[in-house]
Amino acid sequence: MDGSWLLWALLAFPAAAALGCLAARTARLALLVASAAGASWALLAAAVAVAAIFGEPVSAGAGWLYLDALSGFHLGVLGLVFGAGSLYAWGYFRRELAAGQFAAGAARRFGALWSGSAAAMALVLASNNLGLMWVGVEATTLLTAFLICAHVNPLSLEAMWKYLVVCSVGVAFAFVGTLLVAASARGLGVEPAETLLWTRLAGSAGRLDPAAMKLAFVFLVVGYGTKAGLAPMHSWLPDAHSQAPAPVSALFSGFMLSAALYCVMRCLPLVEGATGNAGWGRSLLVALGLVSVLAAAAFTVFQTDGKRLLAYSSVEHLGVIALGLGLGGLGAFAALWHTLNHSISKSLAFFSVGRLGQLHGTHDLEKLGGALRRSPVWGAGLLGAMLALIGVAPFAIFMSEFQVLRAAAEAGEADPWQYLTMALFLLGLGIVFVGVLRQAIAVAWGGPAEGDKEADGADGGRERPALVDALLVFGGLALVLLLGLWLPAPLSEAIGRAAAILGGRP
Amino acid sequence: MNGSLPIEAVLVLLVITDLLLLGSSRFRTCIRVVAVQGLALGLLPVLLHGAEAPARAWGLAGASMLLKGAVFPLLLLRVLRDTGARREVEPYVGYTLSILGGVGALVFSLWVGSRLELPGTALTGSSLMVPAGLATLLIGLFLIASRRNALSQVLGYIVVENGIYTFGVALVGGVPMLVELGVLMDAFVAVFIMSIAAYHISREFDHIEVDRLDRLRG
Repeated sequence: MDGSWLLWALLAFPAAAALGCLAARTARLALLVASAAGASWALLAAAVAVAAIFGEPVSAGAGWLYLDALSGFHLGVLGLVFGAGSLYAWGYFRRELAAGQFAAGAARRFGALWSGSAAAMALVLASNNLGLMWVGVEATTLLTAFLICAHVNPLSLEAMWKYLVVCSVGVAFAFVGTLLVAASARGLGVEPAETLLWTRLAGSAGRLDPAAMKLAFVFLVVGYGTKAGLAPMHSWLPDAHSQAPAPVSALFSGFMLSAALYCVMRCLPLVEGATGNAGWGRSLLVALGLVSVLAAAAFTVFQTDGKRLLAYSSVEHLGVIALGLGLGGLGAFAALWHTLNHSISKSLAFFSVGRLGQLHGTHDLEKLGGALRRSPVWGAGLLGAMLALIGVAPFAIFMSEFQVLRAAAEAGEADPWQYLTMALFLLGLGIVFVGVLRQAIAVAWGGPAEGDKEADGADGGRERPALVDALLVFGGLALVLLLGLWLPAPLSEAIGRAAAILGGRP
Repeated sequence: MNGSLPIEAVLVLLVITDLLLLGSSRFRTCIRVVAVQGLALGLLPVLLHGAEAPARAWGLAGASMLLKGAVFPLLLLRVLRDTGARREVEPYVGYTLSILGGVGALVFSLWVGSRLELPGTALTGSSLMVPAGLATLLIGLFLIASRRNALSQVLGYIVVENGIYTFGVALVGGVPMLVELGVLMDAFVAVFIMSIAAYHISREFDHIEVDRLDRLRG
C-alpha cells in the first residue's frame, strides 16, 4: 500500500497550522486556529496510526520516514492527548483572554509553538533514521521551551531555563549514543547514507559490534532518559510541569515524556540483538525504572502543590513503563498498555487541576479543598484521575500495573533476584497509594481552607461548566474505567503487534 | 598518513582553546575563544577528505564556520551588551583549579582514548581525535556546571556541541548530510533560544546569575 503521502501530510499539516497561527490577526483567532487544527490533526493521526498498525508499515522519503505498529501505537496516543489538549486549551485560554491576561503576541506564539510541537513529536515517531529521530527530540525541546513561559514571569523563566539547559545537555548525550550506534554498524558494510536507518540496523542487529553498541545504549538511555524524566535525571521535570500552563503540562506528561521513552524502545531491540538477547540492556532499564518509582514515591508523599504532585507521579509512571520494558515478555505488552493508560489519566488530571487553579488562583492542594463541591466537573475529574493514577482497582492503570507485576513474577521464576524487583516495585506503589490517597480525599471532600473566600477569586470559584469540558472529563474518566474493565480485541491486537517489535509477547 | 598533520594542529588548537576558556575571566575573551574554536573545527571535515573533498564537505564546513565563527559570537556579544551583564564570568571554582581540572579531564580522555577500541578510529588518521573530542565534551560540561552566569552556560553548551562534533567525526567520519544539517540547525536554534531566554531572565530578574534562580524547590 502506498500511503507515503499520509506521512508527509502528518508532518506538514501542523507546520502549516503553526504558520496560520503566526498570521492570525487577533489572539482569539490564533487560539481558534491552533485548537481547531490540533483537533483535526488528531483525527488524521488516528487514521494514519490505524493504517500503520493493521496494514503494512508505511514508509516515505527513501525509507527515512517509516511508521510501523510500535510508532503507530504511539502516534495514536499522541493524537488522543494532543486532540484533547487542543480542545481544552481553547477553553483554558479563553478565560484568560477575557480577563485580558493574554496578549495577541503571546497567543500567536503559543498557537504556533503548540502546533509546531505536534510536528516535532510526529517527526520523532515517523523517522526511521536514528539521527533524524534525534533531531526531532531536540526540536521538541526547543519548541516547547517557550510554551513553559507562555506567561513570562520569574518563576516560569527559571523553570524554562532549567528545562532548556538540562534537556539540551541530556539530549546531547543521546547524540553521542546515536554516533556510537553508527560506529557499531561499521561492520555491516551498508552505505553511509543508510547506516542509521532503524530498519537496516534491526534487520541485522546480531552483527552489530557489541562493545560499541553497549556504550551507545548507555548514552542513549541517559540522554533520552533525561528527556523522559527518569530518576535521577528528572530534576527539570517538576519545575517545568508546575510552571507551564495546564494544556502544556498535559502534553508534556501525557506524551512528550513517552516520546522520549519511545526512542529508548527503538534502540532496545538493537542492543539486545547485538548482545545476543542476554538481557543486558533490559536490566539497565529495570534498574532505572525501579529508581524512578522509588524516588518519585518519596517525593510525592510530601508534595502540597497539585501540579508538582502530578509531575512526580509522571516520574513514577515513566519508571513503571521502563520497568515493564526491562522485564520483557509480558512486560513489553504491559509497558505499552501503561503508556496509553497513563497518558489519558495524566492529561485529565492536569486539565482538571489547571482549571481548578484558574478558578481558585492557586494549585496548592490544601487551598483547593472541597473541590468536588465548589466545581463539580473539574473536582470529579481531578479526584477520578488521581484515583486512577495511584492504581485504584477497576481503573486501567491498576490492570497494567498488575501486568507489570505479573511479568516480574514470571521473570522471578527464572532469576530469583527479580523477586526483589517485584518487592521494591510494590513498595513504591504502596507508598504512592497511601500518600496520594490522603491528598485526593482532602481535595475532593476536605473543608475549605482558611481565607476561602478570597482564594476563590473574582467569580466566587463557581462556574457553569461548558459542554466540551464535561465531555472531556467524563469521556476521559469513562475511557480509563472502560479500558480497565474490558480491553477491546482490536486494541489488544494493536498493543500486541507493537510489543512484538520489542521482542515481547501478549 | 595523508593530511594528518593539519588535523592534529586543529586538535591541539581545540585543546588549547578549551584550557584558555577555563582560565579567562572576561566574557569577551571567552566568546572570541569559542569563535576561534568553532572556526578551527569547521575545517575538520575538509581536512579529513584531503584535496579531493566532496562538495558536501565544503558546504558543511562553510555552514558550520559561518554559524560558530560569526553568528554565535555576534549573537552572544549582543546579549552581553543588551543585558549589561558584568564583564567577569564569576566561576564557583577558581581559574587555576579549573585549569588543573581541565588538564585532569584531558589525561582521563587520553587514557579512555587509548583503551577504547572504536571501529572508526583507524579511518581518521589521528589517534588524538577521540581524546580531544572527549576532553572538549567534559570541559564543556564543567563550564556549564561551574559558572553562575546564564551566558557562560550558553558558552558551555557550544563547547559541548563542539566536543560531540569532534567525537562524531572521529567515530564515523561524518553522518549523513541531512542529519548533520539538522544537528547544526538544532545547535543554532538552541543557542538562539538560550540567548533570548538569558535576555528575558536579565530583564525580569535584573541579573543573569543562575545560582540566584532558586525559588523552585522540592
